[in-house]
Amino acid sequence: MSVPVKEVPFAGTVPSPKTENEGMITGNWRTRRPVLDADKCTNCLICWISCPDSSVNQNADVVSFNLKYCKGCGICNEVCPVGAISLAPELDFED
Amino acid sequence: MGVKKRISGCVATANAVKLADVEVICSYPIRPYTGIMSELARMVADGELDAEFVYGEGEHGQLSVVYGASAAGARAFTGSSGVGVTYAMEVYSPISGERLPLQMAIADRTLDPPGDFGSEQTDALCCRDQGWIQGWASTPQEALDLTLLYYRIGEDPRVLLPQYACQDGYFVSHILGEVDIPDAAQVKEFLPPYKNHHVLDPRNPQIIGAQMEPSMGPGMQYQRYQAIEGSRKVIEEVHEEFGRIFGRKYAPWVEEYMTDDAEVVIFMQGGHAETCKTVVKRLRNLGEKVGLVRLRTFRPFPTQQVRDALGRFKAVGVVDNSVNFGISGAAGVLLTEARTALYGLGDKVPTVGFVAGLGGEMITHDEFYKMFAKLKEVAKAGKADKQSYWLPFEL
Repeated sequence: MSVPVKEVPFAGTVPSPKTENEGMITGNWRTRRPVLDADKCTNCLICWISCPDSSVNQNADVVSFNLKYCKGCGICNEVCPVGAISLAPELDFED
Repeated sequence: MGVKKRISGCVATANAVKLADVEVICSYPIRPYTGIMSELARMVADGELDAEFVYGEGEHGQLSVVYGASAAGARAFTGSSGVGVTYAMEVYSPISGERLPLQMAIADRTLDPPGDFGSEQTDALCCRDQGWIQGWASTPQEALDLTLLYYRIGEDPRVLLPQYACQDGYFVSHILGEVDIPDAAQVKEFLPPYKNHHVLDPRNPQIIGAQMEPSMGPGMQYQRYQAIEGSRKVIEEVHEEFGRIFGRKYAPWVEEYMTDDAEVVIFMQGGHAETCKTVVKRLRNLGEKVGLVRLRTFRPFPTQQVRDALGRFKAVGVVDNSVNFGISGAAGVLLTEARTALYGLGDKVPTVGFVAGLGGEMITHDEFYKMFAKLKEVAKAGKADKQSYWLPFEL
């Protein structure tokens, strides 16, 4: 059923939810999982800036990944200046 | 009052962009519209205009840059010609859907083939149903005025739609005309600063162009439909105010030339109409009751106004300067739209299509004489024996 016109946001613009969207979980699209080598990581957060899906958590001392939404695109691995992020085949993991 | 200068359509548009105090410009070269960008680049380099001048990596990129700029709250300008216009096709609908009133100038050029870079309205007409305001200038003066009129119409909070300000390549874009360049103070009075509906601001994050469920689709399209239909009233108001401030009065929908007691008229848009006027004047001197109706605003299409204007003649010839292969009526989109406007008047007003000036060829005086001669036959017989004629091969 079509949503009534008055309930459709003007120009389709909506406030950012700023929270996780349970209706669009994308973590299961992933074929490669980012793995952090904490000894190499300098916490520069270039991965956090570059992640198109906001799946790098930066509130801890070192970065971690939100695997619920990480699609495994590998951009973090590309941009990491110290090679601290590697990509492992998703089937290597139990979960 | 402003200053009078002899300038081309391209330079006239650039002057209007400067007067509109545009904040972001994105360019990519393709002739003939490039004349606008080279003039704007000079203005920015000489410090006459304070704007971000971005070099796009192509037309798709150009439109994407101004899309973002407009969302961030800047008055933005871009433009293109021919295949450049069609290359950017994907980005037009999102811009009108997001209701961002940026402006794109189009100086018409043929699509390939023939790739001869001549003028033909096919490029801009390909984008006619993307939810943008669209119309054609017929002189450099009108090219300048159209830019100012369209920013004002598009940015009106009741409209919020992007605009294609079109001019025929070369015939308007590169031909010099006397242009009255208005005072900055007049323009300031006419065109208030642009205020967008949602400001892109990191302190207040928003999703612009969010992915939606299909159930939201009909409502989104209906919003845009209401916006373009609602723009009709605004277009009339803004033309009225333009006349009051600048002293140049344009009919918002159709310009009529020597139509008072006319029996047959030609209906067309763009710069070739100026050639047609000369022919109308000469035929009038010979006692022929002929006239011209020039369409000024193509989107939204003024169905009722065209019906009122054309419904009173004995025959109407519609000149299409574009290709629409396989279209009903076997001519062009202008013929189809004119016939829709006249629908219900029965055989009272026979219409004939003329496809002319393709590939950048001039529509010559001779061709207009032939069209009027054909229309005279049609008016006499009360019907046309052929729907349309391709010039110069079929007439």
